Amino acid sequence: MDLNFTAEELAFRQEVRQWVADNLPKDISHKVHHALRLSRDDMQRWAKILGKKGWLASGWPKQFGGPGWSAVQKHLFEEECARAGSPRVVPFGPVMVAPVIMSFGSPEQQKRFLPGIASGEVWWSQGYSEPGAGSDLASLKTRAERRGDKYIVNGQKTWTTLGQYGEWIFCLVRTSSDGKPQTGISFLLIDMKSPGITVRPIIMLDGEHEVNEVFFDNVEVPAENLIGEENKGWTYAKHLLAHERTNIADVNRAKREIERLKRIARAEGVYDDARFRDQIALLEVDIVALEMLVLRVLSAEKSGKQSLDIAGLLKIKGSEIQQRYTELMMLAAGPFTLPYVREAMEAGWQGDWFARFGDCAPLAGNYFNFRKTTIYGGSNEVQRNIVAQTVLG
Amino acid sequence: MDFEFTDDQLSLRDAVARWVDKGFGFERRHNIAKQGGRTRDVYGELAELGLTGIAVSDAHGGMAFGPIEAMVVMEELGRGLVNAPFAAGALVAPTVLAQAPSALQSSWLPRIASGEALVVLAHQERAARYRIAHVDTTAKRSGSGWQLSGHKSVVPAADEADAFIVPARTGGAADDAQGIGLFLVEKGAGGAKVQGYATQDGARAGELKLADTPATPIAEDGHALLEKALDVGIAAACAEGVGLMDRYVALTVEYMNTRKQFGTTLSTFQALRHRIADVKMQLELGRSMSYFASLKLGESAPARRRALSQAKVQLGNSMRYVGQQCTQLHGGIGVTDEYVGSHYFKRLTMLEVTFGDTMHHLGEVSARMTDSTGVFA
Repeated sequence: MDLNFTAEELAFRQEVRQWVADNLPKDISHKVHHALRLSRDDMQRWAKILGKKGWLASGWPKQFGGPGWSAVQKHLFEEECARAGSPRVVPFGPVMVAPVIMSFGSPEQQKRFLPGIASGEVWWSQGYSEPGAGSDLASLKTRAERRGDKYIVNGQKTWTTLGQYGEWIFCLVRTSSDGKPQTGISFLLIDMKSPGITVRPIIMLDGEHEVNEVFFDNVEVPAENLIGEENKGWTYAKHLLAHERTNIADVNRAKREIERLKRIARAEGVYDDARFRDQIALLEVDIVALEMLVLRVLSAEKSGKQSLDIAGLLKIKGSEIQQRYTELMMLAAGPFTLPYVREAMEAGWQGDWFARFGDCAPLAGNYFNFRKTTIYGGSNEVQRNIVAQTVLG
Repeated sequence: MDFEFTDDQLSLRDAVARWVDKGFGFERRHNIAKQGGRTRDVYGELAELGLTGIAVSDAHGGMAFGPIEAMVVMEELGRGLVNAPFAAGALVAPTVLAQAPSALQSSWLPRIASGEALVVLAHQERAARYRIAHVDTTAKRSGSGWQLSGHKSVVPAADEADAFIVPARTGGAADDAQGIGLFLVEKGAGGAKVQGYATQDGARAGELKLADTPATPIAEDGHALLEKALDVGIAAACAEGVGLMDRYVALTVEYMNTRKQFGTTLSTFQALRHRIADVKMQLELGRSMSYFASLKLGESAPARRRALSQAKVQLGNSMRYVGQQCTQLHGGIGVTDEYVGSHYFKRLTMLEVTFGDTMHHLGEVSARMTDSTGVFA
């Protein structure tokens, strides 16, 4: 047992740290460090910078144009990006659909779609949830009917994160009603410019436009956009979920955000209040414990000797920590989080009377926004079902 | 970064587990507890396995293993609910004595390694709570030697020990870190009185009263060494807690999969399934922080103290949650003396208040807070 990274891993970390310092635009990291609103341009600018370096596809093997990093290298890369204040990579393309295309797509599909994902040129969205299919995803109803060399898609997807920017969307669609709900689902790639697609914003409780509804009205999709075989989409989607492991815990971002919490607590005069400070201390212990859990998973992957089947625990604890730090930030600023001034979420905004509230502007909104973390990606209650299944058999 | 155990560590784990399976069943443990918790013969069996020498140097007949080996042994002793004072005698005491004058080392360490001598740290005082520097016991020079006077409480296996490591004040005020000496007091030394008693968790402890008792100095300025010894004790408590939790969770899972109510096994009820998921969470966070504690034992004092306090906070919360909930999930049988589970619960409970409870260590984490957070902070 050894807590330390190898000399090679530390050299790798240093290389990444230097590169990120040299290449992450300061206006973007400023926004991230202060939780200000990120534009589409901010997110895509950083994605393209990473893409040009070949690091947007950080989890990809070499044969598909990725860097072929180990799980540890990928962790260190993410840690350095988070630490420096880079925006989170929008995962739908490089992290979610790409592994499915690599594993189950045809060589033609790989050639056609992977380069645009790796470079950050093409914005992908995810079409999974539906109004009637949330945690119970397999009950989805959006239909795709095969007609000649096309599918005709009808139905509705929802909670489509950043779908307002989406150029392509990967969807789970129903191609059969026979048998169990899981067996009639297919995995389809759809051009969002296709006639019959309507994207409508859902404004969330923080007043922000982050998610959307996507309507499909007789949308024609070339049959060549089907991944793998018809009615096997559920299997492919499960494979995708298996790719979401340690990064779901987002411990690297938590380490950055607790630093911000300490800054805010100092500015608001509660850092030396024993009762408040103990709450930060407890969060600190939580973060160290989560990081250790993540490192254990990485070590198990590295050795290949044992698998540590605790992805559900990582999701539960990671999301609880995210909610806790946004909660404590809000509580630190107290009544000064009350004013709701949308412009104050923009970088460089200089509202005269409001300026004296300093970093308080995003705190309540962040807190409200982060209630999503225990709901999305398989609600924490569903995660507990999964954990219980592994424990009880 | 690697959390795998070496083959040697796995063999060590196996050796302890095999001894537990063969020689330390619940019936034996239960009888020992009912008769007052005396375990010197159990300690002797651990010595026969060579375990009492794991933290003693080669030169003194030990195996000079590191913190991970100690952790592995403690996990297995926890799993087996072994109530012998192993951490006190074989881990904490050698940590202190390794820094003693060489004559003292040569006379005690080989006997500790062989299990012939049981030496325990007697640091707890009634008024000190968890403040390490709070020492009212006094040490005064007497001719060429030292004499101690004072009262140490809840000393592990007090009436079975051959000698005590006693912090005593050579100068300064009651809470000063300066002026705390560490001394060795032998059983039966003039003016020393021991009052033994059983403990809640089926082991044994006692009161040690000293009145002008002759003592041999180990370290004249011993506060830092005492902190180190207590950190070794904390890491051992964390590892034991992991073993206890691991086994208690396994017992609970077994129970949930067999016990039927309303015509079906308990494991089919979602309220109980979610509870066991939360228990599993606390177990794995606890295991992670126990690793962290042992891996950080070799760091310099400030980083080590911070890490060990962080670990004890996590383990305190984990042990309490797992202990309470596994007991709850068992229903009535869980709160009986005849069922082994309640004994796991009691040991988990008492470990939380050993070497500083959760609130105390949370205060330590608060006090030692810096700008950065994380495993490598």
